[in-house]
Amino acid sequence: MLALLFILFAGLAIGSAIAVVAQRNPLYSAISLIGVFVSLACLYVMLAAPFIAAVQLIVYAGAIMVLVVFVIMLLNVEEEERRRPRLKFLVPAAVFMAAILIAEATFIIYSVKSAGAPTVSASNTGLTAAIGAGLFTKYLLPFEVTSILLLMAIVGAMTLARRSRTLTPTIGVVPGAQVVAMDILRPGSAENLTPVESDTSAEAASLLGVETYKEPKDEGNHGA
Amino acid sequence: MVPDLSWYLALSAVLFTIGVVGVIIKRNVIAMFMCIELMLNAVNLTFVAFSSFFQDVTGQLFVFIVMTVAAAEAAVGLGIIIAIFRNRESLDVDDASILRL
Amino acid sequence: MDLTVSIVLYFVAITIAFLTIMLLCAFTVLAERRVLAFLQGRLGPNRVGYGGLLQPFADFIKTMVKEDLIPDQSTRFVFLLAPMIAIVTAIMAILVYPFGPTITIPFVEWTIPLVIARFDVGLLYVLGVTSVGVYGIMLAGWSSNNKYSLMGGLRASAQMISYELSLGMSLVGVVLIAGTLDIYSIVEQQSGWGGLRWNIFFQPVGFIIYLISAIAETNRVPFDLPEAETELVAGFHTEYSSIKFLLFFNAEYINMITVSMLATSLFLGGWQGPFVNQFPLLGVFYFFIKIAFFLFLYIWLRGTLPRFRFDQLMNFGWKFLIPVAILNIVVTATLALFDWL
Repeated sequence: MLALLFILFAGLAIGSAIAVVAQRNPLYSAISLIGVFVSLACLYVMLAAPFIAAVQLIVYAGAIMVLVVFVIMLLNVEEEERRRPRLKFLVPAAVFMAAILIAEATFIIYSVKSAGAPTVSASNTGLTAAIGAGLFTKYLLPFEVTSILLLMAIVGAMTLARRSRTLTPTIGVVPGAQVVAMDILRPGSAENLTPVESDTSAEAASLLGVETYKEPKDEGNHGA
Repeated sequence: MVPDLSWYLALSAVLFTIGVVGVIIKRNVIAMFMCIELMLNAVNLTFVAFSSFFQDVTGQLFVFIVMTVAAAEAAVGLGIIIAIFRNRESLDVDDASILRL
Repeated sequence: MDLTVSIVLYFVAITIAFLTIMLLCAFTVLAERRVLAFLQGRLGPNRVGYGGLLQPFADFIKTMVKEDLIPDQSTRFVFLLAPMIAIVTAIMAILVYPFGPTITIPFVEWTIPLVIARFDVGLLYVLGVTSVGVYGIMLAGWSSNNKYSLMGGLRASAQMISYELSLGMSLVGVVLIAGTLDIYSIVEQQSGWGGLRWNIFFQPVGFIIYLISAIAETNRVPFDLPEAETELVAGFHTEYSSIKFLLFFNAEYINMITVSMLATSLFLGGWQGPFVNQFPLLGVFYFFIKIAFFLFLYIWLRGTLPRFRFDQLMNFGWKFLIPVAILNIVVTATLALFDWL
């Protein structure tokens, strides 16, 4: 039963991984990579590590890949076109060396397997309490260093996304103007970045070039 | 048959190899980045497998840290990719192989 | 109980919960139309059954026989995949909510907790499934090959991932009080003191933040700019018709229902209520009453409030809600450290 589940999830993972490499359209690669992450999360559940499985879903499939798919959509990445490989002799050489690598790996795995293999049992190791206990007592230093690493990542990402020397306060998120994508790609080339007022008919009239809309007279008796 | 530790290690090795092949073959920079993430996940699987088979929580803690590092790397890496795209108009790695535009 | 019996029980539980959720979704659609109509001073659809009760089924039949259009230049696989992701992740979230307390079936003496699956990280599972649900909207917006859909989809997904942060952080206070991520245990710990141990009294700020983030997550008024500003061209589901549109539409209402389930389980005590110890099935009734209250709140807000502009929405999420949520965590943690909570 567990073996069937393992074969199912492992097959999904390997199939999606091959699709990541084989697909030419990067969006399909991204979707296949999400498939790999979800099947790996299922494998983590089988390994009695539910916290890591949930964190994998939240962080990898739910945040990192969303970022990658956003970038692919905003940059409108095209498919790779097929191109003849320039050094043709490398392909059989690569296949040969891959076969050697697989043979070595199989040999190592099966020689390790002959030593008494432990089993997965329902234990307390994968539970949130165990991870919390380890994270905040014995591995406190990596945890704190990780927080500094994330701060560095935030500052780095903001610095790279800056358009000019000084950090402009509005990065062009203007309602109704579809210049956001253009502004990311070619900063400063957007035509009109003046923010649109949200509800003035006079503004709409001036944009459309018609005569000014006149407000109806207020009677004053709107009921209690 | 109960899945053994070697099964998980073999799966991890296969995923890692597919990731390496992807990094070498792909020319699109974002696709290469995704194959790097695939390699990181293969290593995560190894860590979790060892941690659960030997009842030690250290493996899962390391996976936690690896995921954090991967998230930070994704943010900064995609920022770099967008910055390169702004200047060179192309996401092909071969077009970015020389230092001048 | 051996393996086959428990598998059969799982299937029975999943079937019952699935049918319940789909019926609840259908009647939420009807309730929204009627209640919104009453708020706007008119009657809603009341002709199809008694008081309009068969209206959702009539809508379903009508939608099924509509023509199923797929735009010509769109990427077909992604176009078909997006509504599937939306509906599957919406329904998957009901796995961990306890519909009632543990009941005992009299003849075979089984004690069954009324929850489909109870595992250690139930709350994180819900957050994970919600995070994956963003893809349905993003991929729908992109694959329609229509710039209005793309902008609507990007705005909707940007809004959803921004408010996921404050959603998660507002729940950390509840987890600190309960000491576990398992939703069944969180509900059980809210018993006693005649209902005054519900977490809404211990975490009022957390509750408000959660409610606001949940309304933003499900793209409802006042945060529904991505699907209503472009309603003139209909946002990310512009190009969808027939069953695929129905999947998106239902996914939104099922998201509303699951978010209300999370709010009742974590803040309003789930199935707790008077006389639940004597009649365990009364717990199921209380659970649905509380969900109905939250759904009414959603519909009431829809009929009353205007909507945010997109930059106001993002400002509010990042610059106000997240700092308030962090402050809530800090205060709760300090109080929990001194054992006052």
